[in-house]
Amino acid sequence: MTQNTARCLILACGNTLRSDDGVGPWLAEWAEKRFASEADVRVVPRQQWTPELAEEIARAESVLFIDCSVDSAPGSVSLVPVEPAVGTQGLATHHQGAPELLTLARELYNSLPRNAILLTIGAGSTELGELFSDAVSASVPDACRLIEETVLIHFGNNPSFPGV
Amino acid sequence: MSQTITIDPVTRLEGHGKITIQLNDLGEVADAHFHVTQVRGFERFSEGRPFYEMPSLMARICGICPVSHLIASAKACEAIMSVRIPHTAAQLRRMLNLAQMVQSHALSFFYLASPDLLLGMESDPKARNVLGVVAAKPELGRAGVALRRFGQHIIELLGNKRIHPGWVVPGGVTEPLAPAKRDEILAALPEAYANIALALAAYKQIADSFKPEIDVFANFPSNYMSLINEDESIEFTDGALRMIDPQGKILDDGITADKFSESIGEAVENYSYTKFAYYKPLGYPDGSYRVGPLARLNIVKSMGTPLAEKELAEFKQLAKGPVESSFHYHHARLIEILYGIEMIERILTDPLILDKHVRATAGVNRLEGAGQAEAPRGTLMHNYKVDENGLITWANLVIATGQNNNAMNKGVLQAAKAYVKDGKFTEGTLNRIEAVIRTFDPCLSCSTHAMGQMPLAVTLVNADGEVVDRLIR
Repeated sequence: MTQNTARCLILACGNTLRSDDGVGPWLAEWAEKRFASEADVRVVPRQQWTPELAEEIARAESVLFIDCSVDSAPGSVSLVPVEPAVGTQGLATHHQGAPELLTLARELYNSLPRNAILLTIGAGSTELGELFSDAVSASVPDACRLIEETVLIHFGNNPSFPGV
Repeated sequence: MSQTITIDPVTRLEGHGKITIQLNDLGEVADAHFHVTQVRGFERFSEGRPFYEMPSLMARICGICPVSHLIASAKACEAIMSVRIPHTAAQLRRMLNLAQMVQSHALSFFYLASPDLLLGMESDPKARNVLGVVAAKPELGRAGVALRRFGQHIIELLGNKRIHPGWVVPGGVTEPLAPAKRDEILAALPEAYANIALALAAYKQIADSFKPEIDVFANFPSNYMSLINEDESIEFTDGALRMIDPQGKILDDGITADKFSESIGEAVENYSYTKFAYYKPLGYPDGSYRVGPLARLNIVKSMGTPLAEKELAEFKQLAKGPVESSFHYHHARLIEILYGIEMIERILTDPLILDKHVRATAGVNRLEGAGQAEAPRGTLMHNYKVDENGLITWANLVIATGQNNNAMNKGVLQAAKAYVKDGKFTEGTLNRIEAVIRTFDPCLSCSTHAMGQMPLAVTLVNADGEVVDRLIR
């Protein structure tokens, strides 16, 4: 049941019933359509990231993690490289962060993607609801542009780090 | 001066709970309770909804075992509709339920329990997690991850979603199985067999070293209940319930969903939001019983599949009658994973498995319906009443964790008495008391909202409410 190796794996996380937390799945849906003709781009939306994703990560050349961030200013979009790491509380069973997933991929399968980048969008609200806050709605075009640049340029032949 | 030790929250569980241990003036354990501190209210807010929405609504109760709720709920709806679902739909649902059992048991054993089992109850809590297991036993770590993915991927293939699939509906399922999906699952079976064989062998190697824990981890006589087939083989989706007593003698048999509430009552204690189920003829608490993998294997005479059958025979050698220590839930869980893989293979070779007729339709033909199934952690029952328009007027759910509630509380007390001496406790002591709860794999809320590792704070409080000791991890 293993998937074929992806040139680019897009892993999005979020709950579509929790307002801005749903921006990850929304961007995943956008990416699915945008890269529909690119057979080597695989998009996986999840409500939470769990350890089973480690194998797909290990098999990917590049990984773009997408999540909302409650620690960032509402609507702010950031793009940062991710390195393997383990949080101070160890590993959880229901939810892993991007660094922990990379650690699992390395420890379980002795393999890491060449590139690993985390795109976050600052959340304005994570209360019950299916609509984004104004700040997040306004930031969606920027986030889409960055995803496009990351997948087509940074994860392609041009290794320059995409700008925000 | 009496004192209370509180473990809040209990870690590596599905949901949030806490443990309190009451000490007497001599520092001896006087009492202990496992508290479930959340209230969900699903029964109440389903009132007024059309009955055919219930499977999808009820599946939201749980992110780990939504399939069990889907199936029990759909069966209750089918009782209201008075329909019998097509054979192929029944087989596909059975496979879905088994896939969920495999992934849930893999989560329980490899992610939640194996850090204690493979790294030790006293090992460094910072490393006592799935990554620690991966570092110490990488082949077992990979096996656990792969088995969970195996079950989840089958759910995703059948239901087109990994969590909360809407494929199971009143009357059957929404679409038949495509040949490509069948072939994909069949191709994954050899790896799944190899992984569970590895896990069973590893568990048997270490189980004997946990004799002290086996002796005090909810190790006492009790009643047991589970679904069983007419040929006395294990069953997760159909069949009827059997209740046995501590000696293994049948107390009640053939309990169908519509008779469930005649046999099973629910008591309330003021320290927990989870109810305490009991067998009515024996009253509460004497009629308390255990459900789940240990109960199922204590009740059945056969697994009905060759490899699991051999494992069951070995399991039953652990005791002359029912196996009593809840520590053996772990072993039973692995045997059930093996059974699940074998049954999935058998179902996929059913000549009718690709049949297109997978749904029966009907309206409201009865004003009440009940459905039952075996969730990974035990028997689950849904019971609904509707008005003539099919709107829910009343709903009751009896979940596995409520049926194990009394045994979990007794188990916590038994372990606390064994490990807390003179009012003193260590991190390893507390971990063992938590581990008693983990053997049952309770599902306290099960929605997928836990963010990261839950912290554990243990506080020793004297009778005046003053904190006299504190341990945090």
